[in-house]
Amino acid sequence: MNKYNPPRMNPSSLRSRFATRFLRTLSKINAQKPTSSSSPTEIFRRYRRIKAAADKSMAYSVRSRRTWSRAMLWKLRTRPCGRRSVKTSTIIKSREARKTRHEKQNKNTTTTTTTTTGEDGVVFGVEADELRELVPGGEAMDLYNLLDETAHYIKCLTTQVQVMKKIADFYSP
Amino acid sequence: MLHRLESLKSCTYDRMDMTVLERQAARLKWQQQNHVVQNNNPAELCASSVPRFQGLVGSNLGSGQMVELKRLEVFLGTDNFQEFLNFPVTGPEFGDSEKLDLLPPEAAADYCISRTSSCQITALDTAVMKEEREDMSLEKMESTIVSGRGSFNKRKAETVADHKSKDKRIKGEGEGESEVKTKCSTEISRNSSKENSKVSEVQKPDYIHVRARRGQATDSHSLAERARREKLSKKMKCLQDLVPGCNKITGKAGMLDEIINYVQSLQRQVEFLSMKIAALNSSVENLPMKEFPAIVANFPAAAKLPEMAGLPCFQLNPLQKESVNCMLNESMHPPQTEGIASASVSISEQSLSSSSMTQLQPFSTWNMDPQGLYNMYNMGFH
Repeated sequence: MNKYNPPRMNPSSLRSRFATRFLRTLSKINAQKPTSSSSPTEIFRRYRRIKAAADKSMAYSVRSRRTWSRAMLWKLRTRPCGRRSVKTSTIIKSREARKTRHEKQNKNTTTTTTTTTGEDGVVFGVEADELRELVPGGEAMDLYNLLDETAHYIKCLTTQVQVMKKIADFYSP
Repeated sequence: MLHRLESLKSCTYDRMDMTVLERQAARLKWQQQNHVVQNNNPAELCASSVPRFQGLVGSNLGSGQMVELKRLEVFLGTDNFQEFLNFPVTGPEFGDSEKLDLLPPEAAADYCISRTSSCQITALDTAVMKEEREDMSLEKMESTIVSGRGSFNKRKAETVADHKSKDKRIKGEGEGESEVKTKCSTEISRNSSKENSKVSEVQKPDYIHVRARRGQATDSHSLAERARREKLSKKMKCLQDLVPGCNKITGKAGMLDEIINYVQSLQRQVEFLSMKIAALNSSVENLPMKEFPAIVANFPAAAKLPEMAGLPCFQLNPLQKESVNCMLNESMHPPQTEGIASASVSISEQSLSSSSMTQLQPFSTWNMDPQGLYNMYNMGFH
């Protein structure tokens, strides 16, 4: 490996936060790998774990500032995962948060349906629903906030892809 | 009744000083005649003349009135009071005898285009008072004219409590009105600008200030909708900057489609990369992690592309190929956009169909930067 001095980087940027977190998780996963790890199923299992770790690291880097990160964290926590111990308090909190979001959603959907169909036409409604499926936590948002969340989500996804690509390149022979 | 009408008539924006005197004279006359406590008179005046005034106002409502509202909004927002003063205002035509110079609505509207607007009638009061040294009742009159339809009732001092305002903007004016009310009752006939200016400092409730453009409706619904639409378009422009290749696409629907495709491609890339890392991890020893953050952190965006170009194709042994196959099957299950899914599947199948290394070249194309990959998707389509 070439030795080079990395240029100064903002230690609190999204990229560095995500990178450090993800690498830490990755090292944990690597440390846990059994000796017979070359079976496809094992690899597949690890892939799932790594992907979850990547998403989780991303969501944690964003903290709870964004609706999509909160939704993603909630989803990851409540997903049936053998090893992970789920804290009931966090679940309860997240459920309450979800309830409030649902309440907002009820208000918002009524407004959303009227506004998106009435003003911008039916076209918006269909694509907005698709976008809602893609962006985690998007069901409970009106169009304006959805676009906001989408923009931030895209930014985070690109960061994630870049970091993971770097890691993969580092690993590759 | 006539003298009341005269007093009303004299309340115009234009030629203020004169009308103040006129009004004062009228008031004195009226007070002399009635010999009633001052406090009651405005109430009477209000109660009896309101329907008539409303009738007058109602008859004049139309585009002219709307323009009127706009112009007043114009006036409120700017510091160019002089400009506003220079064009006379179309007050409601109290009596047909009074001729006011009317600016054509178009000219007034032109002013609207370049000004900030405000919904505050009390701000109007402020502005007027600062410039004009108006009497209280004149301000009230002006504000009633501004608010138009039924708020004239409120503007008359003591009847605030009784009459409801039909205009939604009156909310913020309530505070001002109460102040106005208290001052009014004591100084109906006085022309003290100082006390007037006290009222002016009162309140600025926060409203969303929206421009009423020329030829567009000014009711609150359409204004709110227009504000919303502008916000949305601003958001779409931001998204356009984020998503590559969106410059050519116009229209919200197409943009949304592009955004959806891009998000999907990014998510799939994440899946693929995690799969790759998993596969590579199995075959490679765990490298020292301390170097990682520095190395990982050190990639300026510009350096991405050359690296991608120089990337050696990565080798998959058959086992890893299988696992990749599993992953692709897994990711295929929720088919989101059929087109993209089929394209990706075709590309991946193409890459997995052989066991030789050279045929893994297509795989390396997957290592392109997101934009390149995305373009590849697009090319697969069009």
